[in-house]
Amino acid sequence: MTNKKTNYKQMKTIKLLAITVVLLFSGVNMMNSQTTGLQVMQKVYDLPSGKDTQAELTMTLINKQGEKRVRQLKQYIADEGSVEKKIMYFTAPADVKGTSFMNWSYSSAKDDDQWIYLPALKRTKRISSGSKGDYFMGSDFTYDDLGERHPDEDTHKLLREETVDGKPCFVVESTPKAKGHMYSKTITWVLKDTYIGLKREFYDPNAKLLKTLTIKNFKKISGVWVILDTEMKNVQKNHSTTISLANVKINQGVPASKFTERSMTMGQ
Amino acid sequence: MKLTTKKLRIYSWIALVVITLGSVYFVREMTQNAYMETDLDEYMPKEHPAFKYSDMAEEWFSIKDGILIAIENKSGVFNTGTLSKIKEISVRLQEMSQFEENDIMSLYTADNIVGTEDGMDVQPFYEEVPGLKSEQDSLRQSVVSNDMVYGRLVSTDGSVALIAASMKDDVFDEAFYEEIMDFAKSYNGDGDVIYVAGRPIVEGTMGMLGPQDMKRMVPVVMIVITLVLLLLLRSFRATLFTLISVLISTIWAFGLMSATGVPIYSVSTMMPVMLIAIGVAYGIYFYNHLNRYRLLKPQSGDADAVLHTLGVLWKPLSMAAFTTIIGFISLLTSQVYPIKYFGLFTAFGIFMAYVLALIFLPSSILIFGSRKYKIKAVDDKPTYTILNRITDKLLLNKKTTLIVTIVVIVISVIGLQKVWINSSFLDKFEPNSEIVLTDAFVNSKFGGTSTLNVIVESDDADAFKQPANLRLVDQLQESTEQLPKVGNSFSLTDYIKRMNKVMNADKEEFYAIPDNNEMVAQYLLLYEMSGDPENLVKVVNYDYNKLNLTFQLKGDDSKTINEAIAVIKSFENEFEKNGLKINYAGSGYKALVFSDLILEGQMGSIFLSLALVFILLVIMFRSFKAGLIGSVPIIITSLISFGVMGLGNIALSTTTALISSIAIGIGVDYAIHFLQTYSVYYKKTKSRHEAIHETMRHTGSAIVSNAIVVIAGFLVMLFSVFPPNRMLGLLVSMNMLTSFIGTLSVMMILVYTSRLFKPNKKQINSNNEINDK
Repeated sequence: MTNKKTNYKQMKTIKLLAITVVLLFSGVNMMNSQTTGLQVMQKVYDLPSGKDTQAELTMTLINKQGEKRVRQLKQYIADEGSVEKKIMYFTAPADVKGTSFMNWSYSSAKDDDQWIYLPALKRTKRISSGSKGDYFMGSDFTYDDLGERHPDEDTHKLLREETVDGKPCFVVESTPKAKGHMYSKTITWVLKDTYIGLKREFYDPNAKLLKTLTIKNFKKISGVWVILDTEMKNVQKNHSTTISLANVKINQGVPASKFTERSMTMGQ
Repeated sequence: MKLTTKKLRIYSWIALVVITLGSVYFVREMTQNAYMETDLDEYMPKEHPAFKYSDMAEEWFSIKDGILIAIENKSGVFNTGTLSKIKEISVRLQEMSQFEENDIMSLYTADNIVGTEDGMDVQPFYEEVPGLKSEQDSLRQSVVSNDMVYGRLVSTDGSVALIAASMKDDVFDEAFYEEIMDFAKSYNGDGDVIYVAGRPIVEGTMGMLGPQDMKRMVPVVMIVITLVLLLLLRSFRATLFTLISVLISTIWAFGLMSATGVPIYSVSTMMPVMLIAIGVAYGIYFYNHLNRYRLLKPQSGDADAVLHTLGVLWKPLSMAAFTTIIGFISLLTSQVYPIKYFGLFTAFGIFMAYVLALIFLPSSILIFGSRKYKIKAVDDKPTYTILNRITDKLLLNKKTTLIVTIVVIVISVIGLQKVWINSSFLDKFEPNSEIVLTDAFVNSKFGGTSTLNVIVESDDADAFKQPANLRLVDQLQESTEQLPKVGNSFSLTDYIKRMNKVMNADKEEFYAIPDNNEMVAQYLLLYEMSGDPENLVKVVNYDYNKLNLTFQLKGDDSKTINEAIAVIKSFENEFEKNGLKINYAGSGYKALVFSDLILEGQMGSIFLSLALVFILLVIMFRSFKAGLIGSVPIIITSLISFGVMGLGNIALSTTTALISSIAIGIGVDYAIHFLQTYSVYYKKTKSRHEAIHETMRHTGSAIVSNAIVVIAGFLVMLFSVFPPNRMLGLLVSMNMLTSFIGTLSVMMILVYTSRLFKPNKKQINSNNEINDK
């Protein structure tokens, strides 16, 4: 992992240099007339995300029988540079209320640290970090889907431009450079004006459509674009997950003490 | 209108052309559209409530039949070679399109829920194959200490590992059967022995052996029948044409099946043998009458002889054919489609054999001529044959005969109560066949190759987070597992107990359901966050009010399943108190319901065929008494048939259930021939005694020939690779023998003593009764 990540950083520098050189020689107009897939995805990646976030999150799993499993959580996220810390308190259903989950994700090679506090057991337990391809809490999102994927991990191709719900979009196909990835490719529809990814299709190793991610609602809060409602649908299993955020607060200051084992036991 | 020979020959040619064209069409249909149905689900009525429920539950919990690949290494599976094979087989199965990745269960894919110093972890048992002895020992240790895999995926003696692969629906076919067998067997060697078991494999083997069996049996039956025909008809040409006509009837029956899109079910593989055995009897009657006429009038031409034969023959032949057809048609009362279709198409085949005996055989003589008979002329004077001697003996010992009959009936009724139904598909194979031995081996090492799914439902959401309910389920599991044939069980409780244990420093006393529902809910959440949540979907639904409890059984027969269900039923009241309903699902349970349906259908078709045959007899002889007396031999035959099955411990199965209706249909032929001849002679001679003897002399021998052919034909089934088919051959032959004996003994005595067909007072001549004395 370390190697990979440092490689990305090096590559990013090289790419930026290259782009600068190209721009110097070809004039500024190039950017508009010949936008590349990589440029689009880089812009998406570079969208500001805020130093810290607080929100009430509702995650709904819907299986093929139409049965729903609804969970409500209060989540706090802080970006401390080398580590992104996240803590989630379950507020519903009642029998898991007070359960909390904390995740420290490092930019270095270090595996994520994860803890869970079970009030019934009155103890905080460490749990092993699932692999990036594991599904998060039985949802249709893998840990990887929930995080941001660095543009350098894929090769991108701008397929076309088209409108989605009347809004002009770039359509970019991204193919993982590493072999054996769980997706053979993804196709992303990116809004031309804000560079928000509106929709993404995930293809399985046999190049068949596996999942579709749709952004249903987003809003600018404290200068940061926040996605409020998303739906991930696994078309092969006919199972879907929706995540919606409410009462989102950006950069309101979450103290570092929030992200401790002690704080996990105290509830939101 | 008089038919000229020329006109007759033209008609014959037309008939021949039509028959040939029809046969060509049906052969084409057969070669293009015939297929063998091996999916046992297709054998069951889908609209039945039990099947509907099971199908629903199978959908909720993705209950599927699994292929079981067992890998045995006498010195233990915890070595580099065997562990690599387990990994490779698992990975390659996951890659096959016939399986969902998540449905391959093995030591390699299993989740190991373990306690760690500061928590719980769900990890694979191994990812890289452990190369060091110490690593292998610690793997063994982690297997032995985990009840979720120990005895389930690795045998308790450590010598066998199991890879269970649940198949997607409707992907199993013969090609895949071969593929998976070849694939699995390629891992044999280096001290490892591979076994492949499981319901799809049983079905696949049956699907392969069925047509093979049919291909093997047809030549055998042809040879036997040819020999019998040559012996009885003493003519090569007559034998040939009789054989051609029964072959054509078989082709038409199978051709019609293919043309209407009905697949060949395992029971249909018996059709050719049956059609040939039954159909040749019609040929025998035709040539017998023809020869008799020829002997009486040696100078008569072909057309003359044929027309005469048809004139005498059509009535009794029609009767015989229709009663047989009724026997098969009565199988339509069955709710089981393969049996319905078997009845319908065999009936069609017999109808064709009958039509061909009346059209094809005469046409063949008119076109190809017939040879001159070299048989010495038999004088038609009354002779005292063996049959006549037996008749006199029987008539002198009426009481003894009736008493013997009553004793036989009483014994049969006693045996009848012992008849049991067997839904086992494995029992269709030889006890020493590879598939049976493999199954026994896997059963001896693991919980069992057959499964019974128990579905517990509640109206309240989160019911299965309640410790009280979970404990009930746990008790149910424990009690049922006491049965010797119930290997183990698996449900949500196993996850919760395991997690409770590892979260409490692996202490054995915590291998139990925790005391409060929050704890249960939080364990489940913890598992979802660290394990593979899709595994939970197989044991409980999203609302936690439907639970799937799986029992592994060491047998797929009704007895085993019923024993388990009896224990489960004893819990029903207690479950009821907690608002929990119990239902059943899965292929094992469906097979059980299926076998009950077979029994129901069996009873239905026996009574229907008896009733129809009775009505037909009453109409034919215009006598209620004739109907009753004529039915006696077949009623006795049915009773004896069931009695023998009960006393001989022969189970009613999809195959043997067919016997009685078939036996009634064919067996009544003897009574019909006897009664008809007797009524004619009684009218002519006015003497019961003389009429009986005349009947014995003429029809007796015809009945004997008929019985010999049919018995010989059905005995050919002894060459089948399927034990139930052999049993069926034996039982039908026995039934033919009992109806034949019953007709010529008990029925004959009843006919005699009841003064059947006695003319009305007006018609009685003053002296007619004197002859009787």
